This record gives sequence, C-alpha cells and structure tokens, in this order.
Amino acid sequence: MKPFLALVKRDLTLGLRRKSQIYQPLVFQLLVVTMFPLGLGSGARTLALIAPAVIWILALLASLLTLDQIFKNDYDDGSVESYVLTSYPLPLSVLAKILSHWLLSGLPLVLFSPIIGVLLHLPSSSYGVLMLSLLIGTPIFSFMGSIGSALTMSLKHGGLLLTILVMPLLTPVLIFGASAVVEISLGNSASQPLLLLSGLLILSITLIPFAAAAAIKINLE
Amino acid sequence: MHKQRTNALVRFYHKLGSPPSFYRISGYFLKWLLLLAIGLTTWGLYDGLVLAPADYQQGDSFRIIYVHVPAAWMSMFIYAVMGVCGVIALIWRMKIAEAVMLASAPIGAWFTVIALVTGSLWGKPMWGTWWEWDARMTSELILLFLYIGIMATYSAFSEDTRKAARMAALIAIVGVFNVVIIHYSVQWWSSIHQGSTVSLTGKQNITWDMLRPLLFMAFATKFYYGYSMLKRARIYLLETESNKRWVQDIIMEKKS
Amino acid sequence: MFKPVSFDLAFGQSLLISGPNGIGKTTVLESIAGLRDLQSGGFSFKDSNLDKNKDIWFESSLYIGHKTGNKKELNCLENLRSFLQIQGIDVSETQAEVALEQVGLAGFEYQMAGSLSAGQKKRLALARLLLASFPIWILDEPFVNLDIAGCAWLLAVLENHLNNKGILIITAHDNKTIKKAVTQEIILEPVEI
Repeated sequence: MKPFLALVKRDLTLGLRRKSQIYQPLVFQLLVVTMFPLGLGSGARTLALIAPAVIWILALLASLLTLDQIFKNDYDDGSVESYVLTSYPLPLSVLAKILSHWLLSGLPLVLFSPIIGVLLHLPSSSYGVLMLSLLIGTPIFSFMGSIGSALTMSLKHGGLLLTILVMPLLTPVLIFGASAVVEISLGNSASQPLLLLSGLLILSITLIPFAAAAAIKINLE
Repeated sequence: MHKQRTNALVRFYHKLGSPPSFYRISGYFLKWLLLLAIGLTTWGLYDGLVLAPADYQQGDSFRIIYVHVPAAWMSMFIYAVMGVCGVIALIWRMKIAEAVMLASAPIGAWFTVIALVTGSLWGKPMWGTWWEWDARMTSELILLFLYIGIMATYSAFSEDTRKAARMAALIAIVGVFNVVIIHYSVQWWSSIHQGSTVSLTGKQNITWDMLRPLLFMAFATKFYYGYSMLKRARIYLLETESNKRWVQDIIMEKKS
Repeated sequence: MFKPVSFDLAFGQSLLISGPNGIGKTTVLESIAGLRDLQSGGFSFKDSNLDKNKDIWFESSLYIGHKTGNKKELNCLENLRSFLQIQGIDVSETQAEVALEQVGLAGFEYQMAGSLSAGQKKRLALARLLLASFPIWILDEPFVNLDIAGCAWLLAVLENHLNNKGILIITAHDNKTIKKAVTQEIILEPVEI
C-alpha cells in the first residue's frame, strides 16, 4: 500500500473515531449564525444581503478551529517520525495529511453550507455557486492551515500564533470566495472569482507542501 | 593571477559573512548613517513642509505625504529585504542574514504603523472619515499583520534562538509570496466594489518642487533604516554569539 | 553541551551512548537517526555522505524514540500495521498478530493503544523491529518501562539482531548487563565552561 494512502487511511480512521474534528466546525457555525438575526433583526432582506459574505466568514472561522490538529497530534505522540524518517518524500506525506484534514473538516462545511444559507435567506439561485466556491476554497484553508500547524505543532499554546500566521494567507481566499457568491446573488457572473479561486488552489497544491515540510523539519531539529 | 583573484573574492565573501567582521565593519558606518539620516530628514521636512508650494486642491494637508509615502515605501522595501535575508538564512544558514532579517522586522513594522496612521490623518480632511478600506490602506494593514506574524513566530520559540530564526525566515519567505497575491487580490476586490472613495495617491501632476522633498525623505528613511538595522543586528550577534571568543574580546576591550 | 565524539561501526557491532542525565544522549541519537542536522562534523554510511541525501539511511534504519509513535485511538494491530505501511512496508494482519504475540501482547490486538500501560506501549513499538528487516536499529532507552521478563526478551532480540549482522545504537542508563553486551561505548562528557 503506498505510504500516501496508508497515511490517509490512518487519519480518516482516527477522524471518524474522534468525531470532534467533524462536528466541531458545524456546531460552531450553527451557534454563530444564530447571532446574526439576533443582532441585526430577522429582516429577510438584510440577512439575504449579508448572507454570502457571512457564510464564507463562518466557514473560515470554523476551519480555524481544527487547523492545529493537522500536525499537533502527530508531534505530541511521536508518530510524525513515521513519515519524516522515511525515503518517501515528506511533501507527499504532507499532501496526504492535508487531504485527510479537508475530507474530515472541509467537506462537511461544503455539504452543510446550504443549511446556513437557508437560515440566512440566501437567494435560491446562489446555492450552486456557494457550494462550488466552498468546494474550491475549503481545501485552500487546509493547505494554508498546514503551514501554521506544522510551525506551531511543538508549541504548547500555539493557537493564537497559528491564527496570526494563517489569516493573511486566507484573506485572498475569502476575497474571491465571498465575491463569487455575492456576484451570483446580484445576478452577475461568478466565473472570474471562481477561476481566480481555482488558480489559488493550484498554486497551493504545488507550493504549500514544500513550505509545510520545511516547517516540520525545522521544528524537529 | 587568476588564482589570486578568485581567492580574494572567496576571502571577501567569507569576511563579510562572519559575525566578527560584520560587527567591526558595520561599526564604522553607524555614525555616518545617523548623520545622513538626521540631515536629510531635517532638510526633507523643511523642504516639504515649508518650501514646497501648497496643492491647489488639498491646500496644506497634502504635506503629510512627505511622511506617509516614504513610510509606506520603506514598509515594503524592508519586507523585501527580509524576504531575501530569509532565503539566505534558510538555505545557507548565514548568521548575518538572520541578524539583518530579525533586526529589520520591528523597524518595518513601525514604518507600516506610521504609514497607516499618517494615511488615516490624510484621509480625514480628504474623505471626512478616519479610515477607508481602499486597496492601498487595506494592503498596508495586512502587511502589518505579516510583520507581527514574523515577530510573534520568533518570540514563540523562546528556548531555541536558532530554531526561532529559521522559523521566522520561513514565514518571511512565505509572506513574500503572500504579499504579491494579497496585493493583486485586494486590488481586484477594490475595483469590483467600486468604492466611492478616491485613491489616496490619485493621479496628480506632481511638480519637481513637490517631488524633490519626497526624494529627500526617501533617502533619509533609507539611511535611518540602515543605522537602526545595523545597530539592532550588532546587538543580536553579540547576544547569540556570546559564548564565542570574538564577543569576549570585545567585552574585554570595552572594559579597558 | 558535550565534548566532540566520533565512532565507526561495522555490521554486527553495537554502540552504547551513555552519560549523565540531561547531557544530550537523546539529541545525539536523534542526530544519528536523521531527525536533526549535525551542527558540526559529518556522517557517512556505506561510503556515501549523508549530509545531502538521507534516503538510503532512512531505508536501512529504524528509530524508536521516547515518544513511541502510537496513536491512542488506534488498536494495537492498526498501530503496528499503519506505522510500517506509512514507511512503505506492507504488513499483513497475520504477520502483525504473530509479532504482537512475540512481544507478549497476545489478546491485545483490538485494544486501543491509549488504554495500554507504559510498558505495553513500549512493547507495541518494539514489535516493529520484528516485522521489518532494517539492518540498523536506533533505540532510545529501550529497556525503560519493561519488566524483568521484558528486559530479558529484549536483550535476546538485540543479540539475535547482532548475530544476523545487524547494527545497534542505543542509549541507556548505566546497566552492567547492557555494557557487557555492546561492542563499543561512548560516554558523553560535559564541556567545562
């Protein structure tokens, strides 16, 4: 079995057993989305206006909750050595970790987003683009998060540092992702922001694993 | 003949890269850098605040660009320097590169803060609000977060300064890529949202009398950066090499 | 900080790294394992320098450190198999069961590693040695947490490994039995400041 698949299989097994990685972001989203009508008033028009941006911001914040878990557990119990002390390229193992994280934390966000959309009166025409933009964007969250996680994995209280490091990396994702949904809700085309978002994803896949691998190696020195 | 020349080049590279030589050589420059910085700043501010003609649209309030623009330029220039140093520090493990990078971070952060504050002060008479999310100011704010990130990374690894420096270098390099992406994405975002705001440095025909003080201030800030950065870098080297012979020698010299 | 050390090992030989607590035995071992880069000096294996490319070293050596590398939410079988599969070594369920029996964990196959005792966790990690044929074993304090029977078993396994022309590099506290069993010993000495 290729090491890549072995690592994904292991992480998915762990994730399905722990479950917190899966439901924490969703519960968070439900709790926070409730605050918007409570704070702004339940007017459908107001909510519909802010819905695209709010859904995206909620997805971003919810992702932040689980980003440190990409590497922290492996560092704490020493299993990180299993994919560092091997001739199998570390960037590929990092890619496997990112894929597992997205499957456990990001994909549920994509599938759950219509529910948040309904709660915020998102126009019905926007749901397709909403899910597509999140489908492209949430993996980028995991990619950017992997750098922060690899860097802070040896720190006891690395949560705030991870957020400080990852937020500037996620800003472009938010810009393009939210714009896509805003545009489609206004009746315009969302293709340009979606394409730009896809470009970011491709850039992430090719570059980020090397940066995260470097951070892991520096941390183990 | 050829052998002699290559040897001299190799020796020069090694000399520059060794902490004791860097410490000694930079010591000579400090005084001059400070004098030039003070001199050019004084002249530049006088030129800009007094000599330059008032703008027919904005009156005298435009004069804040003589602080705002050089500060903004430095915030980006210093970040680029840190990126280059980060690459050198990470790949070739040069102590000097680490020192220059870490010394530059707080200076760059302060220039960013100055750029943001002066930009805000300029904005009040222009738009009536203390803050507007136009492309440049938004990018500048995110740049501040990047600076904070580098400094926070360094201080988080408090037990191992070598590891801290290397992590900071990695973040600096990632940040350089990020700065480029942020610049273009914020510009795109700003253009599609077509804010009612006018860009801070809109297209104006700038005369030589208005431009000249700007150039003076640009040079002044560079010299100030050189002075401040070298000072901090020297302290960093003394601290991190404190167990080496050359540092002990310097301490002995100072005592006598 | 300790004084510089050096060593040469041929197949069938073993090295013990000892010294006072806190001097850096684990650091040396981690450097040998390839987790850390050497601050000064060099390291070569089979005539090739390991500074640039450590791949042949990783393929030939197995390192078991203080942190055993077991995931607490996986059972013993899964832990054993996944650890080695991530390194590219295929291990069938039967092979893993046999190994678990040999380390005295028979019956614990489906027990979560998080509920094992310290000694059992150690044995689970050591079971990896039985499943893969790495010529070089790098073990950090392998006898810690093992009971008398466990220590005797481990000693036999190590001796067997050396008889099969393997190499062993371990750290340990002062232990006469271990000292007698190894070929070389390096004692790390502190540097006077």
